[in-house]
Amino acid sequence: MANETRTVGKTELRKDAWDKVTGAAQYVADIPQERMCYGAIVRSPHHFARINQINTKAAEDARGVLRVIIADDIPGRKIHGPLVQDQPSLAIDVVRHMGEPVALVIAETRQAARDAVTLVEVDYEPFVPIFDPITALQPDAKKLHTNGNLVAEFDVRDGDIENGFADADVILEETFNVPRISPAYMEPENSVARWNDDGSVTVWVSSQHPFTDQADVAEALNLPVEKVQVKSAVIGGAFGGKEDSTLAILAGLGAWAVKRTVQIVNTRQESFLAHPKRHPAQIQLKVGAKKDGTLLALKATAHMDTGAYASLGPAVGIILTETLAGSYRVPNVELKTLVAYTNSPLSGAMRGFGSPQSHFAVESMMDMLASALNMEPITLRRKNILRPGDQMFTKVVVNQTALSLPICLDNAEEIIKRYQKIEPAPGKKAGVGMALAAQSMGLGAKVPDDSTHRLEWLRDGSVLLHLGSPDMGQGLAMTAEQITAEALGLPYEMVKSVELDTLKSPNGNVTCASRMTYLTGNAVINASRQLIEQLLTEASKMLNVPREKLAYKDGLVITPDGEKVVAAEFISRVADDGRQFISEATFSFPYPEETTPQHLPIGMPHVMFCFGAQIARVEVDPELGTVDVTHMVAIHDVGKVISRSGVEGQIEGGIASGIGYALYESMVLKDQGQWIDSFTEYLIPTSKDMPEHYENIILEIPEASGPYGAKGIGEIPLVPTAPAIANAVYDAIGVRVNSLPITPEKLIKDMI
Amino acid sequence: MKAIQIAFNLNGKLITISSAPNRTLLDVLRDDLGLTGAKDSCGGEGECGACTVLMDGQAVNSCMVFIGQVQSHTIVTIEGLSDEGQLHPLQKAFVEVGAVQCGYCTPGMIMSAKALLDRNPNPSDLEIREGLSGNLCRCTGYVKIADAVRLAAEELSHG
Repeated sequence: MANETRTVGKTELRKDAWDKVTGAAQYVADIPQERMCYGAIVRSPHHFARINQINTKAAEDARGVLRVIIADDIPGRKIHGPLVQDQPSLAIDVVRHMGEPVALVIAETRQAARDAVTLVEVDYEPFVPIFDPITALQPDAKKLHTNGNLVAEFDVRDGDIENGFADADVILEETFNVPRISPAYMEPENSVARWNDDGSVTVWVSSQHPFTDQADVAEALNLPVEKVQVKSAVIGGAFGGKEDSTLAILAGLGAWAVKRTVQIVNTRQESFLAHPKRHPAQIQLKVGAKKDGTLLALKATAHMDTGAYASLGPAVGIILTETLAGSYRVPNVELKTLVAYTNSPLSGAMRGFGSPQSHFAVESMMDMLASALNMEPITLRRKNILRPGDQMFTKVVVNQTALSLPICLDNAEEIIKRYQKIEPAPGKKAGVGMALAAQSMGLGAKVPDDSTHRLEWLRDGSVLLHLGSPDMGQGLAMTAEQITAEALGLPYEMVKSVELDTLKSPNGNVTCASRMTYLTGNAVINASRQLIEQLLTEASKMLNVPREKLAYKDGLVITPDGEKVVAAEFISRVADDGRQFISEATFSFPYPEETTPQHLPIGMPHVMFCFGAQIARVEVDPELGTVDVTHMVAIHDVGKVISRSGVEGQIEGGIASGIGYALYESMVLKDQGQWIDSFTEYLIPTSKDMPEHYENIILEIPEASGPYGAKGIGEIPLVPTAPAIANAVYDAIGVRVNSLPITPEKLIKDMI
Repeated sequence: MKAIQIAFNLNGKLITISSAPNRTLLDVLRDDLGLTGAKDSCGGEGECGACTVLMDGQAVNSCMVFIGQVQSHTIVTIEGLSDEGQLHPLQKAFVEVGAVQCGYCTPGMIMSAKALLDRNPNPSDLEIREGLSGNLCRCTGYVKIADAVRLAAEELSHG
């Protein structure tokens, strides 16, 4: 792709930025509504309990209260869930986690609704809760659900594990623990629903998949889908946590019950307790290698705590399993992953989707193995990385984009040498560490994995882009606008996307899985080609020139004698006839049957991967045990940069999130039985926690099937961050911490 | 609590409102005055900075200020920062360097940056990081936000 591009690869200005810097951007809770009333949720104070009785009378009699709704009042389906229908919209007989919705109060004011929440009397009979997936899977453990506590189990093998370990010169075995992580998007979950006079309902959401919300609301209210309109407002971050239905079902129920407009906004505490987290997990890992460092065998058992309801736990289990060998070629593997129900708040999709967990284990282990073999960690990695043509343990053959791995290592080697020369501040100990990362793209084989988007060519020659999947803040709209502009040869300014509305937009499926640039980009390129074809067909008729003699370039129709006519002229004439140039295209993630292994469970394997590396320099205070990340370089292969500042922004944000994972964040149960549920105790990185010296190295090894060669970038930047920091901490003070986050308490304990 | 009359300067105009004095400034801005630029993120605990406004030139969390305390003071919100459609150099810089992703933290971040540049027109990198450390952002890693503040500082000192 040596050709000069018009907009692809450049930094363009996001079109939503103006409204966002002036405060004009409207998130769900900002949209003015008439005669709005407010919902507040009665939530379980218990981790696990039977509900003997709910008495709503006192709350219903309170001033300003319009209605109190419990599960019995729901006219349609009472249970939902993205993969397994196991989650009651309002509790039915049992609560399985603290914060579970039990009743919904609707009142004239927010305060009246909140006050009335305390007046709903619920008679609970508590059970002994289970918080640990290993305990939950014991045969005598109390079952959370009638099917038992095992939600999903994956067992993936390749080669001969016994022979692999028998041939190994060195065998290491370690147990790693990773914590429960809140997505901590700045905008807590919310929804507004308006009951319309014609018996339909309009719902505003902050969601990664408004079409699922539409279906869920319709099912709950027993309405045909056509009677439910879902509109995407500006989204204040999602990171996977807004893939599950957020509050749309409850807002819809409220609106139906009082025939008005109902707003529900979660507090931060409710967000912590009731919405999906990144899975905590325990990963036991055993590796065997030859003296020269060649990896021979890898055996792992992972226990994942998906909490009270499955959410996307089974799918996360798939990617955790598939990435357990990281970016390495291992001939003999035996991997077992168990996803269990517990009485913890639910875990589901979150940036990385299993890969941050597996990489902390495998990338820590690589450094431990290097140490045991007395090798440089980078030499060990170089010996074992996947090369184009290699087979992963899923039998997927790695394509040419794996060429980025040796380039990552070459860069890393030079950076590590440079960092090692920097003297620590007085009293501090410095260390340098690195990690590689592999992040799957797409939803996996045998799962519907496509995305549909529509283009509309307007009279003035500009293009409206109807995205079928929402921009959750990461910049999908800008990326799609740039690719559309490039494909049509138009200035970026002439393509504008509109907010998603299920009445008008195509269903583009869920925004997730590092798949949007790839799928959306390919779809809008195809849709652009259709527009050009429509234009040339019309131009042929109007100019009376055979279609094949006409050409299109940069918004112009070019006739055989070189005359150039602006496209807008044809568009206008067609519009005068009441017609339009409109195109819609679906792009599906390619899982060709002949090259996609078929022996694995649904959702496995993934066939396309992002690769990257990060190098961290830390300074540790040996007395306090504090870790300061002073330097960081992020090397990522994006195939092709579409939006320069967009790619950088994804990497920088991912690193911040990865630093939180490494050093600060963990949503744990406190001594008195309450969860950490506020930013007072759950610390996410601030501007002061970012490395003082920071650099991006962006590689562009084109993915042949990608739009202009592009791959994804949304998830991978946080994946290598935590293990790179853990390896740097070990390099600094010789203490290996196998459980995140690496807190001063853990370091001091091991240093003494 | 009974409503009282409260007079204060909001975005350059003297206004008088009627409110119970124990409501927060954030609630009054958002619910009564339709100024929804200031956001609630942490649940009114003063932990996130998304509701930052200027009170007599100082950055404050509007969720931590009772409306009764605002009597006779001067409040500037994000809506009051641009001048007749002309973006403030900070707003311009945030757009230009790509410091905006989901945008939920942006108004509060810009108001904190404004307070910083008003008291220190030429901050060092460390002072910028310090000045923004009360405002949480989950999207950007703060890198481009700090770039934007630096760019605006240059623009303001040359302008």
